[in-house]
Amino acid sequence: MSIFLELENLKTHFPIYRGTIFRRQIGSVKAVDGVNLQVRKGEILGLVGESGCGKSTLARTIVQLIPTTQGAVILEGRNLSEISRAAVRAERVNFQMIFQDPYASLNPRMTVYDTLAEAIQTRQQIDKKLLLEKVGRLMRTVGLPANQMRRYPHEFSGGQRQRIAIARALAPEPKLIIADEPVSALDVSIQSQILNLIARLCREMQLTMIFISHDISVVKYISDRIAVMYLGRLVELGPATEVVEKPLHPYTKALVSAIPIPDPQVERRRQRIILQGDPPSPMSPPVGCAFHPRCPYAIAACKAQRPELEQKESNRFAACIRVGEI
Amino acid sequence: MALLEVENLRTYFYTRGGVVRAVDNVSFTLEQGETMGIVGESGSGKSVTCYSLLGLIPRPPGKIVSGSALFGGVDLLNCPKEQLRRIQGKRISMIFQDPMTSLNPYMRVSDQLVEPLLVHDKMSRSQALTRAIASLEEVGIQDAANRINLYPHQFSGGMRQRVMIAMALISRPEILIADEPTTALDVTVQAQILELIRQRQKDLGTAVIFITHDLGVVASFCNRVNVMYAGRIVESAPTDEIFARPMHPYNASLQQSIPALHKKGQALFTIPGLPPDLTIEFRGCPFASRCAHAGEICKEQDPALKQIVPGHKTSCIRFQRGEIADVRIKNFVSAV
Ligand SMILES: Nc1ncnc2c1ncn2[C@@H]1O[C@H](COP(=O)(O)OP(=O)(O)OP(=O)(O)O)[C@@H](O)[C@H]1O
Ligand SMILES: Nc1ncnc2c1ncn2[C@@H]1O[C@H](COP(=O)(O)OP(=O)(O)OP(=O)(O)O)[C@@H](O)[C@H]1O
Ligand SMILES: [Mg+2]
Ligand SMILES: [Mg+2]
Repeated sequence: MSIFLELENLKTHFPIYRGTIFRRQIGSVKAVDGVNLQVRKGEILGLVGESGCGKSTLARTIVQLIPTTQGAVILEGRNLSEISRAAVRAERVNFQMIFQDPYASLNPRMTVYDTLAEAIQTRQQIDKKLLLEKVGRLMRTVGLPANQMRRYPHEFSGGQRQRIAIARALAPEPKLIIADEPVSALDVSIQSQILNLIARLCREMQLTMIFISHDISVVKYISDRIAVMYLGRLVELGPATEVVEKPLHPYTKALVSAIPIPDPQVERRRQRIILQGDPPSPMSPPVGCAFHPRCPYAIAACKAQRPELEQKESNRFAACIRVGEI
Repeated sequence: MALLEVENLRTYFYTRGGVVRAVDNVSFTLEQGETMGIVGESGSGKSVTCYSLLGLIPRPPGKIVSGSALFGGVDLLNCPKEQLRRIQGKRISMIFQDPMTSLNPYMRVSDQLVEPLLVHDKMSRSQALTRAIASLEEVGIQDAANRINLYPHQFSGGMRQRVMIAMALISRPEILIADEPTTALDVTVQAQILELIRQRQKDLGTAVIFITHDLGVVASFCNRVNVMYAGRIVESAPTDEIFARPMHPYNASLQQSIPALHKKGQALFTIPGLPPDLTIEFRGCPFASRCAHAGEICKEQDPALKQIVPGHKTSCIRFQRGEIADVRIKNFVSAV
């Protein structure tokens, strides 16, 4: 299988200023801080991690909506941070993003038809009749009746708008979709419908996908591999089922133990690993392993040096020095 | 007496394409300190139900066609705007599905958080700021003293959602309406937020209306659940009952769609077909055309919510008549 997307030591930092008249930089948020990753063509990679750990920033950096601070995004062999802005724009039909916030990403003055027709035509100019047909088909694909295509976004519910955003991403038939929490606003039945659709598209059209979600059972179901992020870096990477069922990194263990289970009987009896302490601030990350202040297995050596993502078993990577011992 | 009593609420939208019957005859009660979940199909009227209570339905095109909502002797649906404004944001507060409906993109988070404290609670600015920082820390935002000075776009999606939760809790409301409050949150932060809300309920007796798609959250957090479909409540029961003994086929189908119950590679169960077009008036049960258990009667008789055992109501006609004992779908073949 060929490598479709490669991230090399990717970093995205946001400067933080203080003061209005005498603006000075008081530090920076290291939202993404050294991510290495390879995604194969046709693969679905799940990306999970605590709120604020940098998932959306990573996604936006990959599609070059935010400039990279350091490192490289290499798409089909070309380094995106080195080609011109115009070339990036031309490339954009090939990689689409489904945003976390569908409200902000849909134009309130455009009807669903306008939005989808525009998206289809970024790839190819086609005549009115065919366009109408394609828009209708897209709407039905995401479970919306085609006769609602003349409506505006505010006339839809939250989940309906999310589906419009999904349809828009599919419209230009891209090669890569980065989906940032695409199904979390949907009820489980519609969610299943969309997940089935995504799985089918990836299979049939060799669509590559990065799927960001906090819902681990969804990620486990849909993804080939899962990457777990903590404070701007990957801490675990491996085949989806194995990562969820036999997590290597202590953070992944805690994450998996906190998944709510749709059964009140089980919920009452189960044990969760409650993480001690608070998530650290990305403005002043702890030295050593970023997770050590909250890690039940931390030893002195964890404070000394930041562990790199290393291969621990075949296909399985983790950034923890104690993997074999715990 | 119940804290809130909603009866026969109907909210319609008069659009170019016809009348959208977004909420169609919804009744429920909410007791002090309890947590009532609302789950249901996307577009089934969950948000509109709550907006109606707070006078947030845009008119036109929207209109509350009928109903009452009694809260401490005041009918929220038919009281003067001024009175509603005093209740809203102070005694009833809402966490919106879309964080940006309640966050102003051009204002620092600090100013947005202290405003209600200055207005409603007449605190001094420095007092209010201290309280605002504490409220951000409660929802797990690190470096709150620094970050409070940022603008909303400088926060992550989940952090914005938490800012909004802090904002909704800061006024110590009697009723908290939470519309998908944790959709953007990972499970660990979600657990922390739910614990915070639970703590508030214990301390202040706050009642919570909790809209969510996450049946796992429902199972761990809600006392009672209303299941909505096509603008109506189709099943209402204590949480344990909703899961153990579903009495409406829609509820059963929802539970069968949960990805955790599926093997990898196996297609997920989905409900065939589309929800009904709410602009078309129809006879019978709105779920009938998608229901594996539907019979002739379902297309002819209009369903009504009836109690089967104490506390457990369903609108499924065939279940009411004792024609089906188990609404679950056996050996489903998934529609892919
Ligand atoms: N301004 C409006 N004009 C016309 N129709 C509207 C308007 N606002 C909402 N609707 C319709 O009312 C119905 C109920 O919407 P509501 O937002 O309550 O759904 P919901 O149950 O909250 O769904 P979701 O889970 O997707 O958020 C939807 O079918 C929607 O299309
Ligand atoms: N424009 C910005 N300016 C300053 N800081 C920012 C900006 N955008 C994001 N950040 C910070 O970068 C960090 C990572 O944010 P990001 O949105 O990538 O998180 P996330 O993993 O997507 O979280 P969530 O699950 O909550 O959406 C956060 O601490 C956030 O406050
Ligand atoms: Mg995000
Ligand atoms: Mg809603």
